[in-house]
Amino acid sequence: MFNKDNKPEKFKDAETIIGASIKVKGNFHGQGNIVVEGQLEGNLRTDANLFIGDKAKVVANIEAIDAIINGEVKGSLKIHQYLAIGPTAKIIGDINCCEISIEKGAMINGQIIYVPNNNKATRMKSSEAEDSSEDEEKDEE
Amino acid sequence: MNIYIYDDYLNKSKYSRILNRVEIRLTDLGLNGKIIRLGAIKNIRDVIQNEIKNGAKTIVAVGNNQTVNKIIGSVIDNELYGFFQKNILFSIIPIGEDNSIADSLGIRKEEEACNILLARRVKKIDIGIVNNYYFLNKATIPCQDTVLEIAGEYSIESQEKGVINIFNLKSDTSDDKNLKINPIDGKLDVYIKNKNRDLSFISTKKIKITNPNYPLVLDGIIEIKTPADIGIISGKLNVVVGKDRSFE
Repeated sequence: MFNKDNKPEKFKDAETIIGASIKVKGNFHGQGNIVVEGQLEGNLRTDANLFIGDKAKVVANIEAIDAIINGEVKGSLKIHQYLAIGPTAKIIGDINCCEISIEKGAMINGQIIYVPNNNKATRMKSSEAEDSSEDEEKDEE
Repeated sequence: MNIYIYDDYLNKSKYSRILNRVEIRLTDLGLNGKIIRLGAIKNIRDVIQNEIKNGAKTIVAVGNNQTVNKIIGSVIDNELYGFFQKNILFSIIPIGEDNSIADSLGIRKEEEACNILLARRVKKIDIGIVNNYYFLNKATIPCQDTVLEIAGEYSIESQEKGVINIFNLKSDTSDDKNLKINPIDGKLDVYIKNKNRDLSFISTKKIKITNPNYPLVLDGIIEIKTPADIGIISGKLNVVVGKDRSFE
């Protein structure tokens, strides 16, 4: 499941990779998986999954479907499904998520709030299903 | 009708045998057409657009990457003759060195290029645009002092030396084989490679690039001073491609 960088296989084909020597400032909004190994200031939002590496420094409010955090994060986290916090993670900010795992060594300064699994992905799937059923009804007419 | 645009350097005697072979092959395949030599022409844009207006269906660059870059703007610039240019095909017959663009399109040898031209396998690909210049392959600039503003939403700076490549079309010979670059997705692929082999990747449609010390280089030929706006025109060019091209 994990490769040599301790990154799940699903991040192998990430849509965006912010390398260790890169500094990003502003509102970053992606549709695919994002890997952050460098610095980011602003807001970070993706409609897919997020991986934050152990040397990354993120000062941002974060929103994603699933997230794996190993680096420093200052800001609130809104994770619609599963959040994995690694042993090297330092998080200062409130966490909203449905499922969470925290490894020994991680530091968290903030509230962890359970949010039921009415996640974005499920909402997107159900809205797509509604659209297709509407289309079918139109076709029948 | 086919229009063959020969680059200046093909006047050298070492290319005469290759050109003879190509011309014989084209005649055998019934693909002969009008030959225009770049050396004698001052305004290539007007000449090509006149040919298009007079019914040319295929423009073929005979030469290398520089030849392609010299004429690409004339083929796709459709302000004057938009109606005629809608279905114009573009192809390359690579001769000599520095032919990475032809390689990416799956055209590797000059005689193979004639067969590919006959087969008419056509793909609509994107074109990169910087100010008033076009590029097919990539725009390049050093990381040092460069700031990229992506779609007006966020900025990127590299803190180490390296190179920023903004790709439209991958060049098989010189670029990393693992890069995933698609010239038909309507997006530019930005790869930032630092000296410690740290690689960053972002896909976007619009970039503003600023560097007070270094110019932006298009397809390894044209140097442009920054700040410059880089964009992409989706599906702008109909190119004849080979089976072994670098994209689907």
